[in-house]
Amino acid sequence: MSTGIDHDVDRPQAPVVPLGTPCQIPPGAPSNVVPPPGEDLITVNFGPNHPSTHGVLRLIVTLDGEVVVGLDADIGYVHTGFEKNFEQKTYWKGIPYAPRMDYLGFFANELAYVGAVEQLIGLQVPPRAQWLRTLFAELNRIHSHLIYLGTSGIELGAMSLFFYCTRERDSVLDLFEMVTGVRMHDRYPQFGGVAEDLPKGFYAECKRFCREMPKHIDSYLDLTAENPIWKGRLQGIGTIPAETAIAMGLTGPNLRASGVPYDLRRNDPYLAYDQLDFDVVSAAEGDCYARYLCRTREMYESVRIIEQCLEGMPQGPVMADDRKYVLPPRAELQTSMESLIHHFKLVTEGFRTPAGQVYCAVESPRGEFGCYLVADGSPKPWRVHFRAPSFVSLEATAMCSVNRYIADMIAVVGSLDGVMGEADR
Amino acid sequence: MAVRPVDISRAIRSEELEEYVMLTTVEKALAWGQSNSIWPAGFGLACCAIEMMVLPSPRYDIARFGSEVFRSSPRQADLMIVSGRVAHKMAPALRQVYDQMLLPKWVMAMGACSSSGGMFANYAILQGVDKIVPVDVHIPGCPPRPEAVIDGLRLVQRKIRAGVAPAYELEKSKA
Amino acid sequence: MTANQLARAISSHVRGAVVSHSKGIDMPTVVVRSDKLLDVCRYLRDEQGKNFLSAVSAVDFLGYGENVSGYFGTERGRDLNATGTWGSPATVEAPAKRFCVTYHLAHVDADGAPPDRVRLQVFADDGEPVPSVVEIWPTADWHEREQYDLMGIVFSGHPNLKRLIMPSDWDGHPLRKDYPIGGEPVQFTDAE
Repeated sequence: MSTGIDHDVDRPQAPVVPLGTPCQIPPGAPSNVVPPPGEDLITVNFGPNHPSTHGVLRLIVTLDGEVVVGLDADIGYVHTGFEKNFEQKTYWKGIPYAPRMDYLGFFANELAYVGAVEQLIGLQVPPRAQWLRTLFAELNRIHSHLIYLGTSGIELGAMSLFFYCTRERDSVLDLFEMVTGVRMHDRYPQFGGVAEDLPKGFYAECKRFCREMPKHIDSYLDLTAENPIWKGRLQGIGTIPAETAIAMGLTGPNLRASGVPYDLRRNDPYLAYDQLDFDVVSAAEGDCYARYLCRTREMYESVRIIEQCLEGMPQGPVMADDRKYVLPPRAELQTSMESLIHHFKLVTEGFRTPAGQVYCAVESPRGEFGCYLVADGSPKPWRVHFRAPSFVSLEATAMCSVNRYIADMIAVVGSLDGVMGEADR
Repeated sequence: MAVRPVDISRAIRSEELEEYVMLTTVEKALAWGQSNSIWPAGFGLACCAIEMMVLPSPRYDIARFGSEVFRSSPRQADLMIVSGRVAHKMAPALRQVYDQMLLPKWVMAMGACSSSGGMFANYAILQGVDKIVPVDVHIPGCPPRPEAVIDGLRLVQRKIRAGVAPAYELEKSKA
Repeated sequence: MTANQLARAISSHVRGAVVSHSKGIDMPTVVVRSDKLLDVCRYLRDEQGKNFLSAVSAVDFLGYGENVSGYFGTERGRDLNATGTWGSPATVEAPAKRFCVTYHLAHVDADGAPPDRVRLQVFADDGEPVPSVVEIWPTADWHEREQYDLMGIVFSGHPNLKRLIMPSDWDGHPLRKDYPIGGEPVQFTDAE
């Protein structure tokens, strides 16, 4: 379809590569493309403080004119030592650390950590808590995709998209604040359930949000999907064929846009997803435009899931009843000596887990976020390792950006939707 | 000092001049101008950066306080908002960006991590950005609400208008 | 596939590779010898369909089991002189080698099949190199660099093994158990 803009000859439309085509990654480190020898090459440093990179990412780019011939990503500029901090704290005290890794999809981080510990100790979560976790996980997914869309817009020069997306993002965070008291980094998932039940008025507010959000998503698509500049900047750029994507460990919208409709919510259901009706959004081209479409259309599915959660939420407790692992309700502390002792022991010493190892993976807005936990039987974890999807998607930056213009590299980094907090941990 | 509009039908006597013209000192006028046009250089590092990023958004609208644009270049910015945890690897870059800012410049340590290291008392995180740059305003929170950041910005504005010197003059050791 | 079947399948294709296997809390776990690792990985990717490597994680077992003491009256007994070692019904033994490198594998395809996760582990001593699996799953590139950086495990055959997360002139491997937590010393007692 003619876009009315003169496309350069070396920027063809990406052909759709069928699944099963063998992966064509050249030998050597895929994430570091060494530039060929040449005299007129310039090495430019992008970042770590740069408005167009998602957080503090440093790209050492070798340019031949405007074409990228070599790329090396240098990360670690927001390395926080999360994994070492987890080893110092008891399990319960580690929960506030978890959301601060992927600070956009914070709920998924908490779900992975809390899920791993619950699997380790074999704690059953009541159904209402599962549905509540599902609801907030989808709200968080919308939040993350909104920020992705807004910042994508800024990077490509479409500033107005950012203002629309942040306006909706504030509506999402209002819902979070109504229930948990904070906008981001709530400590809502707790071992055995969730911290609090829904307050009065949440149902009406959330229903109103579900009614209005699809219209807003329609407006984003109206603004961008057929926009010739948007398409010219994103179509055919950063194409990753399906087998390459799997070999590079991509998951989430990055993988689904390459034609592999793999979604942990469908392939390996957790929480209440097996009782919910939603579609897995995927596209076939694997370029930046496909990734953008996947993420934007996923927001529709998230709204569908939230509506079903609101209607189908079972009644019941929001916390498991096992006082060896779960804090008693505060009102009980004044009347029951056992509750007081349980509370004291759980907060000071923490609960002991069996020794062993678990890996719990959830579908975060960026892909598969996994928590690998090794326990030694003491109240503190022995080793916690997080599998961050952004860490993995950034490995693909080099192969997508090489032999493309530098402006395309910006579009690629944006479309892979990496959050440096979780990439560096 | 209330000023009245001029009545053009008669001449103004010199003793009445103060009722028609605002008189102030150069310092106060300069401070008024500086405080109402602070352009932040958002040094967005981690979670606080997300709350800082929504400051220009419709709900919080930092532009009404004069911070219309977040300049990407430190040469064009007045206020460096350090939003997020500062890793040791990032510290030299932060100091370099601070050095590139032109005088007068202010630094706002947004959030617990940049104020003091936050919850991360470990090998990787600088325990407070005030170890490497002089900080004017610290904002508590993890992350602070955008309203809290606006409150911090207004504190910087009040500092400027009150004539308090920026932090680099008060802390010569880190300037 | 159960852990037993998996271990038998691996052993029949790569002789002597499997050291132990267990059902695991969540997925079958197989421990293999590090010199047979590449053959096992190739077998798993090509014959067993594990085309997806989720993560490469390294664990440092220095001091494993010292934080846990038994109950009074048990053979291990409660250690009165080491406060903070919580009495536990089961005590654990540290493995023979200090480090363990864990590979979480899964099967990803477009047909809606479940991921069928498998955990593969190799044990290594300090300084003992572990073969790099970059040529089998290219995503392992950064995972192995990160574990080299933070744990000091040398992956032999890795095309670009240099520090990724810490500054390139950093001393030491922070996630090791003998590396201190760091931060500033403060006057009040340490955070718990």
